[in-house]
Amino acid sequence: MPASSPLPSPMALSIASPTPSMFKKRSSQSLAPMASAASYLSAVSKADARARNGNARPPTSTPALSLSSSITSSSEDTVLHDDDLNNEDGLTYPVRAPTSEEVFTTVHTEFGHCANDEYRFTSQHTPGAPVPAHVEQDPPYYILLSTYISYLILICLGHLRDFIGKRLSPSSYKHLIPRGGYAPLNSDFDSFYTRRLKTRMDDCFSQPVTGVAGRTILLLDRISSDYNRTHILTGNRTRALNISSYNYLGFAQARGGCADAVEESIKRYGISTCGSRLEGGSSDLHNISEALVAKFVGMEDALISSMGFATNSTYIPALVGKGCLVISDELNHASIRFGVRLSGAHVRMFKHNDMNNLESLLREVISQGQPKTHRPWKKILIIVEGLYSMEGTLLNLPGILELKKKYKFYLFVDEAHSIGALGPHGRGVADYFGVPPRSIDILMGTFTKSFGAAGGYIAGDKSLIDRLRIRGHSGPYAESMTPPVLTQIIASMASIMGVSAQSLMPSTSSRDESEYTHPGPAPSNALPSWLMLPPPLASGAEGRLRLRRLAFNSRYLHRGLQKLGFITYGHPASPIVPLLLFNPGKMCMFHRMMKDRRTPIVVVVVAYPATPLVTSRVRFCVSAAHTKDDVDTVLTACDEIGDILDLKHGSKDRWSLEKVLGNAVELAHM
Amino acid sequence: MDSASTTLEPVFAFLATSLSTLESGFNKLPGSAVIQRYVKSSHQDDPGRTILELILLIFAIRTLLQSRTRADRTGKHFIQFNDKEIDELVDEWVPEPLGRPLDAKEQAELSSVPITLGPNGPKPKLASTGKTATNLATFNFTGLSGNEHIKERAVETLRKYGLGSCGPPGFYGTLDVHMNLERDIADFLGTESAILYSQGFSTISSVIPAFCKRGDIIVADRGVNFAIQKGIQISRSTVRWYDHNDLKSLEDVLESVEKERRKRKGPLTRRFIVTEGIFEKDGAMADLPKLIELKVKYKFRLILDESFSFGTVGRTGRGLTELYNVPAEKVDMLVGSVAIGLCSSGGFCAGSQTVVDHQRINGPSFVFSASMPALLSVSASEGINILRSTPSILTALQENIRAARYILDRVDCITIPSHAVSPIIHIHIRPPPTSSLHPSSAAVMTPSKPSNPTSVLPRDAGTWDWDIEAEERMLQDVVDEALGQGVMITKARRLRGQEMIEARPSIRLALSSALTKKETEKAVNIVKAALVKVLAKRR
Repeated sequence: MPASSPLPSPMALSIASPTPSMFKKRSSQSLAPMASAASYLSAVSKADARARNGNARPPTSTPALSLSSSITSSSEDTVLHDDDLNNEDGLTYPVRAPTSEEVFTTVHTEFGHCANDEYRFTSQHTPGAPVPAHVEQDPPYYILLSTYISYLILICLGHLRDFIGKRLSPSSYKHLIPRGGYAPLNSDFDSFYTRRLKTRMDDCFSQPVTGVAGRTILLLDRISSDYNRTHILTGNRTRALNISSYNYLGFAQARGGCADAVEESIKRYGISTCGSRLEGGSSDLHNISEALVAKFVGMEDALISSMGFATNSTYIPALVGKGCLVISDELNHASIRFGVRLSGAHVRMFKHNDMNNLESLLREVISQGQPKTHRPWKKILIIVEGLYSMEGTLLNLPGILELKKKYKFYLFVDEAHSIGALGPHGRGVADYFGVPPRSIDILMGTFTKSFGAAGGYIAGDKSLIDRLRIRGHSGPYAESMTPPVLTQIIASMASIMGVSAQSLMPSTSSRDESEYTHPGPAPSNALPSWLMLPPPLASGAEGRLRLRRLAFNSRYLHRGLQKLGFITYGHPASPIVPLLLFNPGKMCMFHRMMKDRRTPIVVVVVAYPATPLVTSRVRFCVSAAHTKDDVDTVLTACDEIGDILDLKHGSKDRWSLEKVLGNAVELAHM
Repeated sequence: MDSASTTLEPVFAFLATSLSTLESGFNKLPGSAVIQRYVKSSHQDDPGRTILELILLIFAIRTLLQSRTRADRTGKHFIQFNDKEIDELVDEWVPEPLGRPLDAKEQAELSSVPITLGPNGPKPKLASTGKTATNLATFNFTGLSGNEHIKERAVETLRKYGLGSCGPPGFYGTLDVHMNLERDIADFLGTESAILYSQGFSTISSVIPAFCKRGDIIVADRGVNFAIQKGIQISRSTVRWYDHNDLKSLEDVLESVEKERRKRKGPLTRRFIVTEGIFEKDGAMADLPKLIELKVKYKFRLILDESFSFGTVGRTGRGLTELYNVPAEKVDMLVGSVAIGLCSSGGFCAGSQTVVDHQRINGPSFVFSASMPALLSVSASEGINILRSTPSILTALQENIRAARYILDRVDCITIPSHAVSPIIHIHIRPPPTSSLHPSSAAVMTPSKPSNPTSVLPRDAGTWDWDIEAEERMLQDVVDEALGQGVMITKARRLRGQEMIEARPSIRLALSSALTKKETEKAVNIVKAALVKVLAKRR
């Protein structure tokens, strides 16, 4: 494909040109009598696709798809799976066939086709509006009571079964009892929760999948004949709507500009750089991506680590140590706790996102100093997350920065979920609130989520990042990030930023730091010279579209569930939407009922210990890849199942399902 | 007196009315009569019990109201301040800077990091010189990096799976290719099962705390790598140390642990031996059969880190178990690195089904981290296939190692602690002969008393007299000199001040089967010349 050829924006409306659609080789079907208008339309689109396929490749422009298919030798991957030909569930092709004016270059199963420009929104904080605090809505008492009773029954039955089982069938307990002079790896007490509670709903966890974790996902069906102790794959596959993966901007794609770039990088760089960053595993790609990340988040410098978890667990110990205090939000991620524990610093916790509690804690710890000795703390580091993965709460950044001015602590914001997903430019919480990123000391984030890659970064002042480079555990010991992953980061990040011809200006610190200035597009000379992004990506148009689709979908699902009467947590801008279920039994029921629908939907259910005991929940992760129809599907499913499972205990101001689906735009703008 | 009673009268009246409203309100509550009857009768039977129950109730309410974060406030070290004093203290407090800027030495350290342009392989192009150099620095032991077949398979996978998995294994991040790689590893090693982590370095520091909890006992080698040290630290288990690669010392420690247990007659706790196959710090190799014998004798479980032996030793690269012909099942937790051994990314732990399943719930960096990108997983599977089908790669690697050692062992000014088959060769500076009297006298002194197992420092730590800074400087000169001659080597980088024991500065060569024997010899000769040249200057 000539890079200069004008390519239509991949997802938006555009002037029709006779380009082949993404529907590749298809078995020919005769037009059967139409049962409904919808089936007629879909048949028309199929016929249309067949006709276009018959044509020779048009000279004007070719979507990215056919470029890649000409490179890969295998033909299997360009053909959609056979079981996908049946579009009964509405997952493989849009329910409404595209008009001849609309051209899409994404595969609908990976990134949904949505041409309606109404279904867009900008993720931005209204200046001056208060940041909503984390409110825990209480369900009616009978729900709480029955939840406690369910757990009580589970625990009693579990202990009873353990008691009887150990006597009647000791062989099935032998891994829990000391044997041959070895203590058991896991005591029956420690593993009680796992054995007696989690195993019962193990079919909801660790579901094996295949293919792209995009808008839809292919499940490898499995059955269990021994009450979830073991699972057997049946060999069948089910395509399901995926509202579970952290694919916020929809960059989990096997097709398109980013994947093409990754393919090119594999050819140029191979798979691995074979070593740690300080011992020869650094390549020019590492430097390029670090500079780009720094530019993206608006900091002076950044470093990249090959694993998100390890970014926290190996770099926090390089920041704080003995004599330092870490103040951590009570709901912080395990990797932060891991890192803090390794650092040897003293830890205090404050109530989730509660600035008053944080302030009183700060006053106490600063005035008291270190325990016993009362010496002043060397430094105080507050670690918070931008967006909390289980609650969907958005960090009260203005509040915490207000405190920072007075109490002189350092601020570490873990943007694992918020980077890319929030803000008008996708630059995370600081962008969302319009706060200069450099008023935060350290920004950490991961590439797993919004960028469809892997690993994490830490950004901050140059001198600090340089110190972390040689003092962090990962620098000398851990493997460096691999070139394909780096390329995915560069390509996806550049397409969010847009590429401009201007050269990379040395980051000036003279800029007025009190005012928020948007970091701007990626300078073209900051990207690898071989990287050719298709025009819609390079112009940033597609990136902006993804951001706006995600913002719309998040708000729509969030508000829609509320209007249907569910209890949800979190900020409406958050792409993570938790829906409270409470009873443990409802978790597996909800999961199974969603999966067994005509349009299967896969969801993530989380319970204790990831959440407090009573507030079991289902967590939806919205993506830019979802269309409005997909969110409708989820809302419809929730509405039906919510009635069956008695889940609607939320606001009294309820709308009917039809009203919610019909007023999506109004809901999002509420 | 009278006046006092008149002023108190309204108070009494108020008390009486509030008491009566309380009483009537209480009577209105459903079930209050039962409580009333119960309290009355119990008070009649035993007045003391009422007081006890009252105290109990107050205590329960107090405990409920007490918040977790206020625990310190009641402590005896708590000092009461008023708001103004706190404000003053807050104003006065000046924190240290978050990170000190690098000093000149650290800056030099950072700028001496080699950066490659384009692919890393046997002959990468360096950014500093713009020329290609022979690579003896990075881990490409079996030459899988840059393998065209693997690249092809990776591209195919990319076109099917995209890049990222976008989720942790528990939540739709378990791909079929991950399960395939886990099965491939288990089959390759001959264990029941295996589990895949997405970073090699984080694997062992997650495996250790998954099994070892507070109160458990870990017996570890004094020379273990940094990742193991961190895993041990976070496990909060009781640690006993034995002398580096000294199985006699190990046996003594195991014996003493067993004795201690018998003396205390406590419950049976989990006990682990943690060590490495080929040590990252010096390339020494553990005597696996003897280790197994000891672990069976004393009923310990063995956690063996094979990061540097998996994919490098044994006929087909299965590691120490193949080299010593020990069934891999005998090692309870066999940890290896996919990143180092198979030139991809990630790590694994192989073992029995129970061991693996346990980690799927308890391994922190397995549970809380996104799974590995599909194409890296497929590349690793292909790597295993290649190792399986072409044992000649390992033969070539071993030949190169022999050739290198043949040259290096004859250099006077250095010592090599690494084992003869180890693909990583550490080079220490031999102390100048002027002080030759000193080490020999130290050697006579040392064997008198064994090291203290509760301390990580060995008995001869006091005799270590190398000047870390000077040696690091000299070694860096050697590295620069070799680079000038077109050979890329590296010092073993360390986190000075964070390791439990300061390792002696060394140059670490990593050999590869991707270089021919001739090329290897030529490169090692250049290293030798650089060593001789730089070290000759010091006298």
